[in-house]
Amino acid sequence: MQPEKWIYTVPLRLRSLFRRPAVEQELDEEMRDHIESQTRKNISKGMAPAEARRTAMVELHDLERSKEECRDTRRVNFIENFMQDVRFGLRMLRKSPGFTATAVLTLALGIGANSMIFSMVDWLILRPLPVQSPEQVTYLGFSQGGARTDTLFSYPEFRDIRSQTGNLFSDEAGFVFGGLTGDQTGPDGLTVDGKTQPIQTAFVTGNFFDFLGIKPFMGRFILPGEGNTAGADPVVVLSYKYWQSRFGGDPSVTGKPASIDGHAVTIVGVAPKGFPGPTPIVEMQAYLPLGMVSVESPVAADLFTNPKARRLLIFGRLKSGVRVESTQTELRIEGGRILEQYPRDGKPGTLTATPLRPPGIVNGGPSNPLNKLAGLFLTLGALLLALACINVASLLLVRAAVRNREMTVRAALGASRGRLLRQMLTESVLLSLLGCVGGLIVGLAGNRAITSMPVLAQNVLPLNFDFQFDWRVFAYAFAVALLTGILAGLVPALRVSRSNLGKVLHDGGRTLTAGRSYFRAALVAAEVGGSLTLLIVAGLFVRSLQGLKKSDLGFDSRNVLNLTIDPNEIGYTKVQGQRFFKQLLERVRGIPGIESASLASVVPLDDSAVDESISIPGYSTPKGEPAPSATINRVSPGYFKTMKVPMLRGRDLADADDEGSLHVAIINEAMTKRFWPNQDALGRQFAMLNNPKNPITIVGIMKDSRIMSDLYGPIPPSFVVPTSQNYSATLKLQIRTSASPETMARPVQQLIEILAPTMPVFNVETMTDVMEGLNGLFIFRAGAWLTALLGILGLILAIVGVYGVMSYSVSQRTNEIGIRMALGAQPWQILKMIWRRGMVIIGAGIVSGLFAAFALSQLANDFVVGVSPIDAVTYVGVSALLTVVALLACYIPARRAMRVDPLVALRYE
Amino acid sequence: MSKPTDLVQGTLDLLLLKILALEPLNGWSISQRLKEISGEILQVSDGSLYPALHKLEQEGLITAEWKPSENNRRAKFYSLTRLGRKHLLREAANWTRLSAAISRVVKLKEA
Repeated sequence: MQPEKWIYTVPLRLRSLFRRPAVEQELDEEMRDHIESQTRKNISKGMAPAEARRTAMVELHDLERSKEECRDTRRVNFIENFMQDVRFGLRMLRKSPGFTATAVLTLALGIGANSMIFSMVDWLILRPLPVQSPEQVTYLGFSQGGARTDTLFSYPEFRDIRSQTGNLFSDEAGFVFGGLTGDQTGPDGLTVDGKTQPIQTAFVTGNFFDFLGIKPFMGRFILPGEGNTAGADPVVVLSYKYWQSRFGGDPSVTGKPASIDGHAVTIVGVAPKGFPGPTPIVEMQAYLPLGMVSVESPVAADLFTNPKARRLLIFGRLKSGVRVESTQTELRIEGGRILEQYPRDGKPGTLTATPLRPPGIVNGGPSNPLNKLAGLFLTLGALLLALACINVASLLLVRAAVRNREMTVRAALGASRGRLLRQMLTESVLLSLLGCVGGLIVGLAGNRAITSMPVLAQNVLPLNFDFQFDWRVFAYAFAVALLTGILAGLVPALRVSRSNLGKVLHDGGRTLTAGRSYFRAALVAAEVGGSLTLLIVAGLFVRSLQGLKKSDLGFDSRNVLNLTIDPNEIGYTKVQGQRFFKQLLERVRGIPGIESASLASVVPLDDSAVDESISIPGYSTPKGEPAPSATINRVSPGYFKTMKVPMLRGRDLADADDEGSLHVAIINEAMTKRFWPNQDALGRQFAMLNNPKNPITIVGIMKDSRIMSDLYGPIPPSFVVPTSQNYSATLKLQIRTSASPETMARPVQQLIEILAPTMPVFNVETMTDVMEGLNGLFIFRAGAWLTALLGILGLILAIVGVYGVMSYSVSQRTNEIGIRMALGAQPWQILKMIWRRGMVIIGAGIVSGLFAAFALSQLANDFVVGVSPIDAVTYVGVSALLTVVALLACYIPARRAMRVDPLVALRYE
Repeated sequence: MSKPTDLVQGTLDLLLLKILALEPLNGWSISQRLKEISGEILQVSDGSLYPALHKLEQEGLITAEWKPSENNRRAKFYSLTRLGRKHLLREAANWTRLSAAISRVVKLKEA
């Protein structure tokens, strides 16, 4: 590497690149001069001028080759050729707008769908929280065995944990989800300039924003000293999104006086753009200091002193160098310590720290079904893209056949095979890059459509589906486009670069594809197969959703309103609590419009079902099975009337079942079958391990229902006991209304306020909303929609592909058809011939698609409930549908074949 | 026209450099001079002359200038660069050593 050389080389190279015409002209001139001089010399030797010239040129040996070699020495060829290819490619694309439009559109569909899927995956799994060093942020939980981890703590617990875990965490911050003790049906309300709108609040410890390490977009954040006492520091920080949508980004909003739930506050700042809070899936719209939790209800401020008021989420930032796994031992010790000071119901447990990752706090542990879901959808997207690729490859193959002659002439002029290949690939990559742009537009539009879709849960929580297209999505789309372009263009390019000059010029350009459409046919068969796979997966999801919707819940979820009431938080004793609930039920039942009211410790789909260990005299646990247990629900009389769960035998709970009388329970069928098989369980007894002195007599058997279990899967053994004999600190009031349940929310809450003004009431929602919400059908519905969309897109692509290849095949065989008809073939025989070809292709496609679908549906198994992955109805139904549609696509070209006029066909060249 | 082997190509470079060391010349004159000096023994085909010249130019061993030539036209005159001169000395020395060694072997008396 001699730097001196560069003084000469660099200017030369640059010149070759940018002043190419001048350089070429010089080369020309130099060659011409040589020839002139040589010619003159030859003449002087006595040759005739013409001969002199010719000899001179011959001596120069193939002028063009020589020039090409000179050009080779310039060493900038690669760039030059590339630019040339690109320019030429663009020109060719412009010349055939139909082809270009079709190809670009197809690719845009495929790339767009993939970008959207990837943006969802990105948001759900990949994108880290927009805070400083997000990998260090964890959330604490208290695990008492079993799958569920309680993530809520009280403030005294928080204080203690914070001071005692300095080894593990550099800081910890507390966070309270607002709206849980609200008086309204939902979030708090922010009043500015006289107008009130709902706002999702969060109450945070003063160090929260420092803990996150972010800077405010405008104004300031809550300061570390603020909010340590009840009612102090009435300031509020708004989220960027809320600030934009409600105030249009008006900078004068900071410093404005406002009020939340009627309490005066001042807006002091706006959080950064793109920061949704610590749980990305729900957008926090306002942050207030912890002390301001009293805006929701005056009693809520006992948060600071009441060790039983557990409403705080604790986030901990790991000290640099500390890994989550290594915190386990110390956290266990700390957990024991905390439990001693602040007892909880249930078994001893341990503190846990879980990394805070999107989409936020996942109840119940770190195992992430989201990863599998992402894998499934990425695969579906890749399938769709493959289909798009195949279509475009087909188009390119046809085009390649047409341009065969051009390529051969190029080869004759000295283009190497690699050069030709490069040029074809450049064209196809250009196409796919255009498709990438189109795809990103499609993706962004789809994105906007999804985020504006009304999500049912949104009237309670502002769900934040922020499938932004960040740099990762763009990079992904670009990479996908490149890969697509190369893949789709590879085979046509290889075909073309192998072309044979003599053969081509002779046969007029038809030879390349006439007998060789096996490849195209195979491509289309693959397309049919891919489309079948997509449709089958969609079918499985849709059937699963349908199954769930139609499934017999075992109870009636319509017209029921739930409210969660927690007298424990305001320090009610058991006696006080029972008295309160008794009064409540009496009064509520008196409200017109309410058909029945009852209390329960567990409402369907609310994640609070607990397994209770029981002992059954005379029952020995079979080997290998866990100790007997069943899910427990503590209810008041009237429960069965409210939920409309059918009683099979025995009697309902009655007011007579109280503390002094015999302890009773009603069990479900699953429980009888499990612990008293082939016996009559009525009258039998069992006992809860928590309370062995009070054996429970079974007085009734209820039908299996989903009042305490998930929407799908086997119904576990469960039993129901009266609250009078088994008090629960937190109870849900369930009301069956004759009219719309929402209208009853206000009157009931007012009633509660009269009875106990400080009583915390939250999670006020109708049963229907719960069923449709995140714990219920929402995910299934979303999955069905998405897969159906992919399936339909795939179907369209496959149809287009089938139609295209059949059309082309017919047009190629026009000659042959003409001959056959001239020789006496009937039109229907021609039809049969064409159709048979189509059937073979489609048949091969369906078979391969079935195999692929079988493989893929194993992956989908986790998300498809109630439907086996090889559900016959879906497989057969979809195959039949696809076959019919594909045959129809063959029909039109086949008809055209039938109508061929033999005379015309024979003359067709 | 196949590319000359490395040995021949390298030798051609040496010849061109040496000729240009004597005086700057244009392409045709170089080819003529070569024929003259070598007494028609070294037949450098013109077809390989120009690529070789261009390669030397791209490597910075010679540099070109457009000067007015006889007949009032302009011609591309090549001349040696400093780098080229160094390269020439080195290659010439190599050649001398190589040819001496070959001569010694060839002159061995057969037994």
